[in-house]
Amino acid sequence: MQGSALATGAFFINSKFSLKMLAEEPPSPFTTPWIQPLRFAPYAVPLPDFARLDPAPIPELHQRYEEFAPQHLYNMTISEQLVRPHPQLGFSRCFAYQGSVPGVTFMARYGTPVLCRINNALPSVIPGFGSCDVITHVHNGFHAPESDGFPEDRFSPGSFKDHHWPNMLASGNPLEAKGTLWYHDHCLDFTAQNTYRGLAGFYLLFDSLDSGTERDPNPDAFRLPSGVPDGRRVRNRYDLPLIFTDRRFDQNGLLAFDTMNMDGILGDKFLVNGLVQPYFEVERRKYRFRLLVGGPSRFFDFWMSNGMTFDVVAMDGNMLPAPIVANHVKLGVAERADIVVDFSQLPESTTEVYLVNREDQRDGRGPTGNTLPMSTAPRLLKLIVRPGQVQDPSQVPSVLRPRPAMDIPVAQERSWHFDRSNGMWTVNGQLFDHNRCDAFCKQGTAEIWHFSTAGGWAHPVHVHCEEPMVLSYNGKPVGGTILGGRKDIFTLYPGDEMSVYIKFRDWLGRYPMHCHNTVHEDHAMMVRWDIVP
Amino acid sequence: MPHNENPSETSPLSRRASLGALVLPGLAALAGCATGPRAASDSGAVHVRDLPEFPARPGSTIMEADGTRTFRNHELRDQDGRVVRFQQDLMAGQIFAATFMYVNCTGICSDMTGQMTKAYDLLKPIMGNPVRFYTFSLAQDSPADLKAYMQARGLYGRPGWYFLTAPREVIKDIRWGFGFSDPDEEVDSNLNGHTGMARFGHHRLDKWSSCPALANPVLTARSVVALFPPDKRPELAGLEREQLSPARKIPNYQPAPPATDRSL
Repeated sequence: MQGSALATGAFFINSKFSLKMLAEEPPSPFTTPWIQPLRFAPYAVPLPDFARLDPAPIPELHQRYEEFAPQHLYNMTISEQLVRPHPQLGFSRCFAYQGSVPGVTFMARYGTPVLCRINNALPSVIPGFGSCDVITHVHNGFHAPESDGFPEDRFSPGSFKDHHWPNMLASGNPLEAKGTLWYHDHCLDFTAQNTYRGLAGFYLLFDSLDSGTERDPNPDAFRLPSGVPDGRRVRNRYDLPLIFTDRRFDQNGLLAFDTMNMDGILGDKFLVNGLVQPYFEVERRKYRFRLLVGGPSRFFDFWMSNGMTFDVVAMDGNMLPAPIVANHVKLGVAERADIVVDFSQLPESTTEVYLVNREDQRDGRGPTGNTLPMSTAPRLLKLIVRPGQVQDPSQVPSVLRPRPAMDIPVAQERSWHFDRSNGMWTVNGQLFDHNRCDAFCKQGTAEIWHFSTAGGWAHPVHVHCEEPMVLSYNGKPVGGTILGGRKDIFTLYPGDEMSVYIKFRDWLGRYPMHCHNTVHEDHAMMVRWDIVP
Repeated sequence: MPHNENPSETSPLSRRASLGALVLPGLAALAGCATGPRAASDSGAVHVRDLPEFPARPGSTIMEADGTRTFRNHELRDQDGRVVRFQQDLMAGQIFAATFMYVNCTGICSDMTGQMTKAYDLLKPIMGNPVRFYTFSLAQDSPADLKAYMQARGLYGRPGWYFLTAPREVIKDIRWGFGFSDPDEEVDSNLNGHTGMARFGHHRLDKWSSCPALANPVLTARSVVALFPPDKRPELAGLEREQLSPARKIPNYQPAPPATDRSL
């Protein structure tokens, strides 16, 4: 799998300098691990059927609005909240979607289009990091550009913006279904700062196969471990969305962000769903963990502390053609992996196991390429294994979702080279200009894009809207690996090359492609590409 | 020249500069020195209050209890040879865009100045008050050289644009303080590869962003305007945004009440 290949790859990030930089930051205050239970964001609640949004949405502003007429209306507000990620830390001013950090969890279904009104009720003066301007992007959402969260579409407090999320399959193909999406702020120049303040949450999509019901009578349903916790309701829930972030806190225990850091921000505290090193009690059965690396700049290499294996069933929210048995999974910023961990295979004597991050990363430029020893790797989440066997109706099917066919002829090949010049990020030697389209892609065609990078930097490249499929990674085919499905993040380590196949189908307009190390993104490591008739 | 109607040896950027310079002659030229912000007393006199030691590394700053940031109070000279202090005159309370260049650069500097000039034109109504442009010399150019450079490009006398020079270590400290450093000493000190990024700052709000100075000047100008709180943002021609689905006003909107504890 990708992880194994990467672990042995050549890296030339200079660790002696990295160590020097790490030593410059004062450490966060001490926090006692495993004293608070893991918690989950509450579900996003749609308006009652009889309710209407006032003022009414303007259908003319949205592509194919009538065709995908919203069945669920959400009225969500972004506001400032005081949040304490650990009892030994202070209450920090955070930004919350509907009062929750992380943001409320959307439980969306294919065939149920959504209109989400997002109101900006942040204070207009925000001292320190973060911007009161916001714009929300559903990461990996197949949305028209007017609802996609283009960075320059940011809007100020006292305003709202309607997002039409049709929850439709790309070109109507069931093989294009997605599952673990997330939404986050995408404000120009301030994405890292605003997401650091808390503007990120899960957007989960279900269909008839990945139905969210492990007892689904449909013989074709996957019946993966199911039940997404809703706020504090965690009993009998086995499908856990987990957002992993790292943060730094000042000596008063308040959230700290080095706004002058151009390389990438690393924290020395690890948070799961906004809480520093929580614990969670699991039963001896299968669980689905939806692992999301929330950034801004840290990469993760997830292992269970006992080295146990698990099934990787989805990458970037897309079911793989078949599950892959692995004992670790490496993720770049914003990548997701859905894994199924079977705690029933543990011996009776095992009462706890930890989820750990063995990725060695000393600065924001990217991982060193080394794997930390299990004994010293940071522990992220303590899983307390309850005694006694329980019934487990869930399963991991041997076949999941085959890769969609690459059935549209390739009209063109393009190269995208991510580099740095005079301290500025460049793509194909050019600086970002959102008024300049760098690729006019014709609707109804397909292209092959070649990604490459230079220098000692790692860049998780994110393509909006359409999901490419990897053809080759450093010249090698990716079938049977975690790159073998559809992807929306293409993590390029120094010197990497990746070729992908991408179709342009249902939507027209402008989209960005950018590095998802959000500190790089905020410093204009981005291009604009358009889908044109 | 609008900003130099009453020329003196010291900068009109701050009348406190002269006394500051007297209080601490020459101290600020050292990268490691710990000079602090000055507060004017009722009598108008300036005193230096004690500050914690700055960490030894270049570019370090001190966060104050009021949420502002104190930089080392380096001494620099502007294009007219006037002494200005970095923290006291250039940072404290200011809204600015800062870039780095040197007069004899054969690389990106000329283009960068050109783009910043266009950005200046877009921001013209607010240039000088409250927005300033700072252009720091990376190669110890003399004030006369900087003045000639400005004159050659029609920049001399523009309100709010200051070309500034200081010893190499001072500029390095300022550059690192803005985050434009490379951990590799060789790369960091290579003038040919010097930074083309602009640093945007709103000191009072401790609001900072950055984008390439070579970028579209509209983006640069918008980044400066975005530092202002929304109700204080000037509406300037040429900076309008084309939005496919524009945001609308919330009816009867009341600004948010103070934050309460609503963690999960």
